[in-house]
Amino acid sequence: MFWNLTVQGSANLWFAAFQMENLFSTARGADNVIYERLADGNYDIKKTSREHLEQFGSAGLRTLCLAYRDLSMDQYKSWNEKFVQAKSSLRDRDKKLDEVAELIEKDLILIGCTAIEDKLQEGVPACIETLSAAGIKIWVLTGDKMETAINIAYACSLVNNDTKQFIISSETDTIREAEDRGDPVEIARVIKESVKQSLRSYLEEARRSLSNTPERKLAFIIDGRCLMYALDPALRVNLLGLSLICHSVVCCRVSPLQKAQVTSLVRKGARKITLSIGDGANDVSMIQAAHVGIGISGQEGMQAVMASDFAIAQFRYLTDLLLVHGRWSYLRLCKVITYFFYKNLTFTLTQFWFTFQTGFSGQRFYDDWFQSLYNVIFTALPVIMVGLFDKDVSASLSKKYPQLYQEGIRNTFFKWKVIAVWGFFAFYQSIVFYYFTAAASQHGHGSSGKILGQWDVSTMAFTCVVVTVNLRLLMSCNSITRWHYFSVAGSIAAWFLFIFIYSAIMTSFDRQENVYFVIYVLMSTFFFYLTLILVPVIALFGDFLYLSLQRWLFPYDYQVVQEMHKDDPHEYSMIRLPERSHLSPEEARSYAISMLPRENSKHTGFAFDSPGYESFFASQQGVCVPHKPWDVARRASMKQQRQQPQRTGRS
Amino acid sequence: MNSGDAAGSSSGGSGDAGAPRRASRKPKYSKFTQQELPACKPILTPKWVISVFLLVGVIFVPIGVASLLASNKVVEIVDRYDDACVPSNVTNKLAYIQNSTISKTCRRTLKVPKDMKQPIFVYYQLNNFYQNHRRYVKSRNDQQLRDASKANETTLCDPEKTRDGMAIVPCGLIAWSTFNDTYTFQHNTNNLSIDKTDISWKSDRDHKFGSDVFPKNFQKGPLIGGKTLNESIPLSEQEDLIVWMRTAALPTFRKLYGRIYVDLKENDTITVTLDNNYNTYSFDGKKSLVLSTSTWLGGKNDFLGLAYLTVGGLCFFLAFAFTLLYLIKPRKLGDNNYLSWNRNSAGH
Repeated sequence: MFWNLTVQGSANLWFAAFQMENLFSTARGADNVIYERLADGNYDIKKTSREHLEQFGSAGLRTLCLAYRDLSMDQYKSWNEKFVQAKSSLRDRDKKLDEVAELIEKDLILIGCTAIEDKLQEGVPACIETLSAAGIKIWVLTGDKMETAINIAYACSLVNNDTKQFIISSETDTIREAEDRGDPVEIARVIKESVKQSLRSYLEEARRSLSNTPERKLAFIIDGRCLMYALDPALRVNLLGLSLICHSVVCCRVSPLQKAQVTSLVRKGARKITLSIGDGANDVSMIQAAHVGIGISGQEGMQAVMASDFAIAQFRYLTDLLLVHGRWSYLRLCKVITYFFYKNLTFTLTQFWFTFQTGFSGQRFYDDWFQSLYNVIFTALPVIMVGLFDKDVSASLSKKYPQLYQEGIRNTFFKWKVIAVWGFFAFYQSIVFYYFTAAASQHGHGSSGKILGQWDVSTMAFTCVVVTVNLRLLMSCNSITRWHYFSVAGSIAAWFLFIFIYSAIMTSFDRQENVYFVIYVLMSTFFFYLTLILVPVIALFGDFLYLSLQRWLFPYDYQVVQEMHKDDPHEYSMIRLPERSHLSPEEARSYAISMLPRENSKHTGFAFDSPGYESFFASQQGVCVPHKPWDVARRASMKQQRQQPQRTGRS
Repeated sequence: MNSGDAAGSSSGGSGDAGAPRRASRKPKYSKFTQQELPACKPILTPKWVISVFLLVGVIFVPIGVASLLASNKVVEIVDRYDDACVPSNVTNKLAYIQNSTISKTCRRTLKVPKDMKQPIFVYYQLNNFYQNHRRYVKSRNDQQLRDASKANETTLCDPEKTRDGMAIVPCGLIAWSTFNDTYTFQHNTNNLSIDKTDISWKSDRDHKFGSDVFPKNFQKGPLIGGKTLNESIPLSEQEDLIVWMRTAALPTFRKLYGRIYVDLKENDTITVTLDNNYNTYSFDGKKSLVLSTSTWLGGKNDFLGLAYLTVGGLCFFLAFAFTLLYLIKPRKLGDNNYLSWNRNSAGH
C-alpha cells in the first residue's frame, strides 16, 4: 500500500506499509536537500554518494538522492493527526504543512543516488545561436546543479572556452565553514555578505572588460541560494546591472518561485520585453511572469502549455515563431495601423477644408451613407489582406538573416517619424482631393452648359478618395498576391456599384435625396474622367516620390535583403518543419547522421548533444562497447577543431 | 504508462502496410493557410521609377494641352452690375433694394471680345453667397416637392414652414431665396430671344419636382426673399426654381439662366436690360452676368489643363532628376554593405 504526499517542492515523501506491520517512508530529492535531513552516521556511504554525484554532474546527468526511514505505527499516527490538522487549516496552510513535514523528514537513511540522462532536444544549440544573432539575450534558469547547468550552457553555445565567467556559488569554503558552525542567522549573514562583495567586484570587472575588450563574451552564473539574497532590494540593482552587461546568464538550482522572480526583475527593472519558454510544471510561474510565455508540449505534460500564451512542440520551433512569424506579425501590425490612420485622416481632412468655405457652419461635404460605408465596404477588405499576407522577405530568408529581427527590437516601423510621414502625406492628399476637385468643377461641364452642385462635387471627390486610398495600399505592399488585386479591385467596384444603386433609387427613408442621379450625369461628362485620372495621380505623386527616395538613399535592412535575393526562384513549398515521427529506427538513425550537429563546442563535456553515454558508462565498467557512427564522426570533427579554432560564420 | 505511443494513436492501424506510422496531427496543408500564395514582390528599382515618371509625363502632357486648348477656345463675358445698377444718389442701398415701389430696371452694354458661336449660355454669378451653409442646405423638403399628396410635409423647412397656419409649398429657405433678377438682350437693335427651357437637370424635372405640385402660399410673408412663383405652373416646369435648388458647392457660383441661339461676332455690342431685384447688398454679395460659350470640356476653366501640363512637366523633370541622382549617388542593388549590421563598425 503506497500513498504519497508532496509536501515540499524539493522532496517527495512516500509512505509504504507492508501488511500494516512495517511502516517506512522514502524520500527523494536534490542532494543538498536530502543531505540536510540525513541521520548521523554512515559517513562512507554519504561520502561515496557525494563523489558519485559530482561525477554524474560533470558528465551532465541530472541527479537525485534517495533516502528512507523506518516508522512505528504510533509515530505515524501522531504525526498524521498533526498533518491532517495542518492540511485543513484555513490560514497559513503552506507554512503549517512545511512545519509538519519538517517533523517527519529527519533522520533519514541514505540509500544512494540516481542519475538520468536528459538530452537536449534536437536543434537547440543552432536555435540558440540564431536567436543570439538576432539580438535576443538568452538566460538559462534551471533547477539542476551548477555543474549540470554549466554543461548545458556549453552544449547550447551560450558559453565557450573563451568566455569570461563570473560565478557566484553557495558551495564556497567560507560558506561551508559557516554551515558547519550551524547558526542559521550567521549562515545567512555570511552568504549575504559574500554575495554583495561578489556582485560589486564582478560588476566593476565586467564594465572594465566591456570597455577594454568588447568582443570577449561575458557569462554570469549564480545558484539559487545566493540568488535568494541577491534578489534583496539592496542588492537587486547590482544584480540587474551585472546580468544585463553579461551576454548570457545561467541560474542554477532555482526554485519555480525564483524563476518567476528573476523574470519579473528583468521585466520591471530593465523594462525589456521578456519571453519565457519552458516545458514542465515548474516553469509555469516563470511563463506567467514574462511578457510572452511559451510552453513546449511534450513528455512532461501539458501544464506549461496550459499556462502559456503560445505553445510549440519543440524548442527549435522558437526560431520560426520569433524570426518568421513574430517579425511578420510586427511588420503587418505596423502597416495596418498606420494605413488605417492615414486613410481616415485623409478622408476626414477633406471635409475639414470644406468647412472654410461653408462659413464654418458645419455642413458635411459627403453624403451620410458615403461616410458610414467608407470604412466598412470601400476600404476594409484590402487592408485585411495586407494584414494576413504581407511578407517583407520569405521565411527562409528571415531565418538566414536573423539580424532583421533588430528592426522589431528597435521599433523601426512604428516610430513617431514614420507616423509623421504618413500624417504629412494624408494632409497633402486631403488638400489635393478637396481643392483640385473643387477648382476643376467650377464652371459648367460638358456641352450642355449645366452646372454641378455640391453633391456632384462631393461624389467626384469621394470617388477620387476611394480610388487613391486603395491604390496607396498596393504601393505599400511588399508582396502582392492575387487576393490583394481582388480586394482592391473589388473595393473600387463595390463603390461604383453602391453609387450606381444609390443614385438610382429614391426611398421614402431619405429625407433628402441629394445624390439622386448624380453619378450618371457625372459619368456623362469628360470632366469626370479627366479628374479621375488627374487627382489620384497627383495625390499618390508625393508618396511615390518619397518611397523612391527612401529606398535609394536610406534603405531599410529588409529592402537590401529583398534586393539581394530578388532573382531567387519563388519558394512555394518546403517551409514545413522536418518531422521524424514517421521514420523507422533505421531511417531515424540515418537521418540523424545526415543532420549531424556542427556546433563548434570546444568544451570537452559531450553531455547533452551526443549520445555518448553508453560509451561513458561502459568505459567506467570496463566494458567495450562498439562506437556508434555519429559518435565517431563527432569525435573526429572535434579533434580537428581543437587545433584550429574557427570563427563561427554568420552572414 | 503508454509505452509505444505509435500503437496508441494508430489503434486501428493494423491494416497499414509496412512500418506503423504515427497519425500526423498536422492540419491539412493549403497555400492559403500556410501563407505560401504565389505573390509578386515589387521592388522600386531605378528602372521602374524613371519609367513611371516618363509614362505619366507622356500621358499627361497631351491631355493637358488638349484641355487648355479647349478652355482657351471658350469666350466669356463677365459683367458685374450690382454696384453699377444702383443709382449714384442712393446712399442706403439696402433700403433702395427693399423698396418695392421703385423701378429697378438697369441698362448695361457688353462688348463681344471674340466671335462667339451658338449656343451661347447666359449665367448669373453670385459671390459671397453661401448656398452651402448647413442650415440653408437642409432647409427643404423633397417629399413635398415631389408629391402633391405630401403638401403638408414641412419638416426641416424652418423658418419658412407655414404661413397663417397653412403649409408653404415649396417650403424652406432655398426656395424662398430664389434669384429673381431678369435679363433681356438686344443685339445691334435686334431683340435676342432666350431659351429658358431645359436649363435644369432632366432627372430633377422628371423625378424630384412633381408635375402635379403647384406653389401655394408662397412668398406671402412680410419678408420677400426672392422670386414669386406662378401658382398655375407646376414645379416640374419652374426651371429657375429647379436650377436654384441645386445648391452650389462654393460661395462663388454661377447658375444657368438661359441659352441664346445666335452667333455673335467680334466687337458686336449687346445691350442688356435687367431688373436688379435680388438683394445681395445686406451681406456684401456681388452679382454678375456671364455670357459664355462651351466646348466638350465645359465652360472656361483653365485649371484642368494647367494641372495636367504642370504634372506632366514635373514628371519629366523628375525623371531627369532621378537619372542624375542614380548617376551621382549610385548604389548597387542588393549591396551587402548597406545592411545596418555591416555598416556599423562595432558589431553588437
